Amino acid sequence: MSGSTTLLPIAEVAGEMYGESHPGVSILVSGMGSSAGIESVSTGSSDIGTSSRELKEAEYELDLADTPVAYDAIAVIVHPDNPVRELTTLEIRSIFAGVITNWSELGGPDLEIGLVNRDEASGTREAFSKIVMGDARFDLGAVILPGTGQVRAVVSDIPGAVGYISLGFVNDDVRAVAVDGIEPSEAAVVAGDYPIQRVLHFFTHGEVSESAVAYIEYVLSPAVQDSVVRDAGFIPITAKEVHGG
Amino acid sequence: MAEPLETKRAPQAGAARTLKMMSRATYIQEALLKNLFLTCAIAAVAGVALIFFFVGFRGWPVIEDPGLAAFLFGSEWSSTFGKFGIGPLVTGTLVVTIGALVFGAPLAIGTAIFLSEIATPTVRGIVRPAVELLAGVPSVVFGFFGLVIVRPFVAELTGSMGFGPLTASLILAVMIVPTIATLTEDALRSVPPGIREASYAMGATTWQTIYKVLVPAAKIGIFDAIILGMGRAIGETMAVVMVAGNAPQFFEGLGAPIATITSQIVIDMSYASGTHRTALFGLAIILFIISMGLVAIVRALSRLNAKRS
Amino acid sequence: MGKRWTNRIALGVLWLCGITTVTMLGAVILYVFVRGVGQITPEFIFTKPHGVNAEGGIGPTIIATMYVTGLSMLIVTPIAVLAAVYLAEYAVQGKLVDAIRFAADTLASVPSIVMGLFGFALFVEAMGLGFSVLSGALALSFLMLPIVMRATEEAIRAVPKYIRWGSYGLGASKWQTVSRIVLPSALPRILTGIILAMGRAVGETAVVIFTMGQAVYLPLSPLDSGRSMTVHLYMLAMEGINMDAAYGTALLLMVMVLFFNLSARWLAARNRRLQG
Repeated sequence: MSGSTTLLPIAEVAGEMYGESHPGVSILVSGMGSSAGIESVSTGSSDIGTSSRELKEAEYELDLADTPVAYDAIAVIVHPDNPVRELTTLEIRSIFAGVITNWSELGGPDLEIGLVNRDEASGTREAFSKIVMGDARFDLGAVILPGTGQVRAVVSDIPGAVGYISLGFVNDDVRAVAVDGIEPSEAAVVAGDYPIQRVLHFFTHGEVSESAVAYIEYVLSPAVQDSVVRDAGFIPITAKEVHGG
Repeated sequence: MAEPLETKRAPQAGAARTLKMMSRATYIQEALLKNLFLTCAIAAVAGVALIFFFVGFRGWPVIEDPGLAAFLFGSEWSSTFGKFGIGPLVTGTLVVTIGALVFGAPLAIGTAIFLSEIATPTVRGIVRPAVELLAGVPSVVFGFFGLVIVRPFVAELTGSMGFGPLTASLILAVMIVPTIATLTEDALRSVPPGIREASYAMGATTWQTIYKVLVPAAKIGIFDAIILGMGRAIGETMAVVMVAGNAPQFFEGLGAPIATITSQIVIDMSYASGTHRTALFGLAIILFIISMGLVAIVRALSRLNAKRS
Repeated sequence: MGKRWTNRIALGVLWLCGITTVTMLGAVILYVFVRGVGQITPEFIFTKPHGVNAEGGIGPTIIATMYVTGLSMLIVTPIAVLAAVYLAEYAVQGKLVDAIRFAADTLASVPSIVMGLFGFALFVEAMGLGFSVLSGALALSFLMLPIVMRATEEAIRAVPKYIRWGSYGLGASKWQTVSRIVLPSALPRILTGIILAMGRAVGETAVVIFTMGQAVYLPLSPLDSGRSMTVHLYMLAMEGINMDAAYGTALLLMVMVLFFNLSARWLAARNRRLQG
C-alpha cells in the first residue's frame, strides 16, 4: 500500500498487527503522498492507495472503489482559562494569518494572541491550511512546533496561545473552541456538522486480492478502529453507527 | 579537541637507514606497508573531499534555480511559495550563536580558570568530571530542558511565548561550555608555572596574576577555544529546533520565534523535494564551508602561537 | 588594600563559575532521572514499541544503537590506527601532512547535520545502500575517524623512544617494531580513544536519522533499517504524546554515554598508574 503520510501510522501499525496474526502475509507500506497513492493503485503497482483527500475531478475516471477508514477532525485549542469559547472560520483564518493579534478583538481579555503553528511536513497543517486558510497565508511570525504533543503542551501552558491539533488528542489540559457555532465532538464530526474535518480513505481498483480484502476488513474492525485509529488522534469511521450519523 | 599537532622528522628513520641489514623482501614489505598507512591517512582528506563533492553536487542546481543571488541574498524562505532566500536563516544562526557565546564563553572561561588556578584537588575532582559529562549529554535532552524549564522563564521575562533567540542562546551556551572550558584549561596549563611564580613573587594577588599575566599569555589558546565553541553552536540542531520557534523571519525580538540554518534543514528535510531539497543541500554546503573556515582560522592562529613561543 | 578586595571578589566570581557549571550538569541529569527512572523496567529495555505512540519498550532501538556503533567501530579502527601510525612514524613535515591534519580537524568539526545529509546523498542514494545500519555506520565512521586518529597518534608518541631504539638495535624492521612493540604498548590509550569515540557515536542523532532511517523493527542484517535510541528519543520528543517513554529513553541513553565516558576515564587512570 502506498499513499498519504497522514495514514502512515494507522497503516503501519495495523499492518504489523495483521502480520502477527496472519503469518505469510506481508504488508509493505510507503508514504509518498495522497496523489502518488491514488496513482499507484490505479496502475496496479499497489493493492491499496491511501489518501487524506477526496478524489479530484480527473481522478473519478480512474474507477476506484472508496473505503473510508477514519475521520480526521481538527480542533482549534486555547488555554483552559481563555474565556473565548467560540470562533467563526473567518475569525480563525484571520488569527492564523496574523490579522487579528489580540484576544480583545474577539471579545476576550486584552491579551496578545500567541500563535502556534505546525511544521510544513505535518498532515494536520496541510488539512488545516486547505480547509480553514484557503488562499490566506499563515503568519510568518508564528511559532512552529514539530509535533502534536508539543502544540498541546505549549497551549496548555501559555494563557494567550492558540493552536490546532487532531480532535482525538484534545484532553483536559486545553479547551477546543466551537467553530461556526458547532462544538467539536465526535457526534458533530460524524454528522458532518463540524466544519474542520476530512475523511481518510483506502482506495482500491478493480479486482482486489483476498488478502487485501481481509486486511481492509481488519482495519474496519473494532480491533483497529478503537485502538490504533484513536491512538493516532482520529475518529473511527465505525463511530457512525454509534452516533447514528 | 586540542590543538593540531605538528610532526618533526622521525629520527628513527635515520637509525633504521644505518642498520641496512635488511633483506630485499623486508624492504619491499616495508615500502608496501608504508604506502598502506599513507593510504589510510589520506582517508581523512578523501573524506572531506567526498563531503564537499556529494553535498555540493546535490546543492549545485541552486545556482540556476532560484539562482545564486536569490539564494544567498534573498530575504524570504518559504517553500510553499518557492522562495529560498537564506537571509533569515543566516541571521538566525548568527544571532543565536553570538548569544550563545555571550552567555557561554565567560562562564566557560571562568570555570576553566577556576579549575586551573583556584580549585583544590578535591574540588577539581568534582568540577572537571562535571564539565566532561556535560559534553556527553545528548542534545535532545538539552532541548527538553530548554522547553520545560527555560522557555517559561524567558516567557515571563519577555512577555512573549518564550520561543526565540534568548532561549536558544541560553541552551546553546550550556552546551558549548564544555568545549570552551576544556580547551581554555588546556591553554592555561600550557603556560609555564615559572610565570605564575614570578608574578606572585612580585606581590601580585591571584586575580592580578590571572588577568594581567596568564590570560594574555594563553590568549590565543582561549581564542581557539571560543572559535571551536562557536563552531559547535553553529552546528547544533536538535536542541535549537525545540526552543527557537522555527519561524524563518528576521530578528524580531528576544522572544520572537527564529529559525537557524540547522533547524530549517532538519524540519524541512523530511518532506522536501525538487528545488526545495536542492536548497537544503545548498544550506548544508554553506554550513560546511563555514565550519571548515573556522577550523582554518584555528589552525592559522595555532601556527602563529607556535612561532611566537 | 584595593587589590585584596578585588582579588576576593574575583575569586568569588570564579568559584561561582565552577559551581554554576556543576549545578547545570546536576540539574539536567536530575531532571531526566526524576522523570525517566519510573520507566526503566526490564519490560522497557527488552520489549519492542507497539502502537502509534510507541507504547511498550525500546528494545529494538537499544540493539540498533549498539549495532550501528559497533559496526562503525569495526570500520573505522583499522583505518584510523594505520593512519595514525603513518603520521607518528613515517610522516615528514610538509604539505601532505598539513593537508591530512587540516582534513582531520575539519571532519572533527563538521556539523552533524551536514554529515547526515552527506551520508544520505552518498550511502543511501548514490551507493544504493538505502536506509540501513551499514549506511549509518559508514557515516558515523567519518565522524569517529579524527577522534581515534588523534588518540592513537598521541598514544604512539607517548611510547618512549628508548624502547624503539632497543628494538632497532636488535635488528628489527620498522614494521616489526611498530607492530610488536609500539602498538601493544600504546594499546590502552588507543582503547581509551576508541571508547570515547563510541560514546560520541552513541549520542548522535542527525547523522543517524538520515542514514539509518526510522524503521522501528529490529535490524538483523546490516542492510536493514533501524531506529537508534537517539532517533527514537527525537521522534518521541517531537510528537510530544508519549513523554514518559521519551524520558525513559533519554535516561537510558545518558547512562550509556556515561558508561562509555567513565570507562574511558577509568582506563586512562589505570594506565597512568601502571605506567607510573
